Amino acid sequence: MEAHPVKGRLILVAAALGSLAVAGCSSSSSSSTSSSSASASGSASTKSCVASVGFEGPITGPVAPLGTEQLHFAELAVAMDNAANNTKITLVQGDTQLNPAMAVTVTQQFTSNSNIVAVAGPAGSQEVEAVGGLMDRAGMAFISGSATAVALTTGKYPTFFRVVSKDSVQGPQDANYIVNTLKPKALMIVDDQEAYSTGLVSAMLPIFQAAGIKVDHESVSQKVTDFSSLVAKVTPAESVVVLPWQIAANAQQFGRDLAQEHKTAVIFGTDGLFSPGTFTISGSYVSSFGPDITAIPADAAIAQAAQAKYGSFGTFGPPVFAATHVIDEAIASVCKAGQTPSRSNVLAAIKQTNEPASILGQPIAFDSNGDLVNGKFFLFKISPAGKYQLIPS
Amino acid sequence: MSFFFQELVNGITTGALYSLVALGFSMVYGVLKLLNFAHGDLYMVGAYIGFFIIQFFGGAAHVGIPVPLLLAIMFVVAAGLVGGLGVAMERFAYRPLRDAPRIAPLITAIGISFFLESAALLLFGAQYRVYNTAEFISLSSGIRIGSVTIDSVQIMVLVLGLLLMTGLQLLVNRTKLGKQTRAVAADREAAEMLGINVNFVITATFFLGSALAGIAGVMGGLLFNTVTSTIGFIAGLKAFTAAVVGGIGSIPGAMLGGLVIGVAESFVTGYISSTYTNLIVFGLLIVVMLVRPSGLLGQVQLQKV
Repeated sequence: MEAHPVKGRLILVAAALGSLAVAGCSSSSSSSTSSSSASASGSASTKSCVASVGFEGPITGPVAPLGTEQLHFAELAVAMDNAANNTKITLVQGDTQLNPAMAVTVTQQFTSNSNIVAVAGPAGSQEVEAVGGLMDRAGMAFISGSATAVALTTGKYPTFFRVVSKDSVQGPQDANYIVNTLKPKALMIVDDQEAYSTGLVSAMLPIFQAAGIKVDHESVSQKVTDFSSLVAKVTPAESVVVLPWQIAANAQQFGRDLAQEHKTAVIFGTDGLFSPGTFTISGSYVSSFGPDITAIPADAAIAQAAQAKYGSFGTFGPPVFAATHVIDEAIASVCKAGQTPSRSNVLAAIKQTNEPASILGQPIAFDSNGDLVNGKFFLFKISPAGKYQLIPS
Repeated sequence: MSFFFQELVNGITTGALYSLVALGFSMVYGVLKLLNFAHGDLYMVGAYIGFFIIQFFGGAAHVGIPVPLLLAIMFVVAAGLVGGLGVAMERFAYRPLRDAPRIAPLITAIGISFFLESAALLLFGAQYRVYNTAEFISLSSGIRIGSVTIDSVQIMVLVLGLLLMTGLQLLVNRTKLGKQTRAVAADREAAEMLGINVNFVITATFFLGSALAGIAGVMGGLLFNTVTSTIGFIAGLKAFTAAVVGGIGSIPGAMLGGLVIGVAESFVTGYISSTYTNLIVFGLLIVVMLVRPSGLLGQVQLQKV
């Protein structure tokens, strides 16, 4: 009976439908709770400067640690900006789980909530691709603190902005550093099967190949935590392993497996690996779109506030603080001009953003496609004590 | 050649983990004909328990008791608590649905899986918890033959896995409980009529299967270091596949299925490319299922009409 193939398929189909239903229910319930709190904030008024800002990020799911950090910094930005500008901005949370389908659901809820005038997020480039059209139709400005794919700022999403630089800057910058400074004869590069990772690999490979470096291109899912078989493949000639990953704990395990199998290759990671408490393999490099704000004197108050309230953090939170701050300042400027914040006037104000200094240690202004003007990446090397030391550019 | 043996060791170690989780899957299916999709989440709970025990005794860098004692406590407590959780699942979620259409407990199992995952997220947070095994079990300990390295954790996983699988096999084949379990698996109603306490047998099966998943969770934490609320999904998926490939309901089949998948993954990664691991491994498994639909060691069940 249990081996009956048709019955087995029916069970699997039912199981899949069941899981979708459960996922859908959990998503809608969390979002509806958030929306109701936003609605309670009341209608906008120029005097009190009331508005809601949406937050889209992976609060749960495989990269929840990064999404939670982003949420914390968005909350911090709203709290600090409300105090500084005497505004009453509320943050409406939307959990996208780094899943484009979930991002669409959340965005539909946000765009149908007239209180929300702009959105901080989403986190992933694939999510921006999924929601860009919806945001455009709603006239809603959205600013990502971590979506770096080149294709996002070709003009197809006119309400999209980002406060971080793009892969076409990071990929070649990292690859050139590896070629010119680390000088490997051969290397292994492992993508994590997500658009972010494969995009960076695509940007790096031509440079490695042009430099005559023998490349072993591998690929593992983010959900994999057993790297022993892959590490066994690292040859003595492969002196560098490039991991453009989003999960620092996985890279830490990769590094441990290297040590356990007596391999001496140096790890070169990107953004997601910036996690001083988690990724501590001595001698490794991490390139990040965000700086270590604990090393920026002007950010001391924010860093201390974040540390006190939420504990340790990496480089994913501060750019979302910057994104939320841009939105908050746009709302405040609209109110100062005697207008009621709306999607259109907030969008116009965001386009005019010109912050001479920011939490990211660089000015924030956007070009006509929504890209950060003069954006740059930061390169760190991990010391034997596990500290991240900035390598001057 | 050393590369071959290194990949073989890595594959068998990972396969042993898959086997332990698959055993619980297969045992529960054997007695209840239930695909317990929450089984992978028991692995996750076991991994968390191991992590918090390390923290309780001072953290990885400052373990306050001898390491063998720490490991023993981790395994015993994880087995006990996760076994108890499995029993609670059976008592409160599955038993009321025992005579319901088969789709009902299946959906319940998916619900429990989401419940456990979400509960872990809320209780333990979204951040990755890291065992830091190397802090209390040196990476340099273990065996090195030529360039083949087998570290202490791998040895422990292999030895403990073998002992547990052998013990379970003896329990099922040589004890009264084992005989009763086989009777319930063969025909629950007939077993009940013969005076077997079916509820006790099912409870014991859930306890044993869940305890194995809990122990596997601790092993996974020690081997792979990382624990999050989502690790149960992949563990459950691989274990389910291993159980089906080996022949679901068959204990030796679950062991074999886990090892086959672990070794196949390792060799495909090593000799071809990690890019194609799932594609090739699961492609091979489809071929196996086409040739032997009841699994490698499963038995074709005749149905009377």
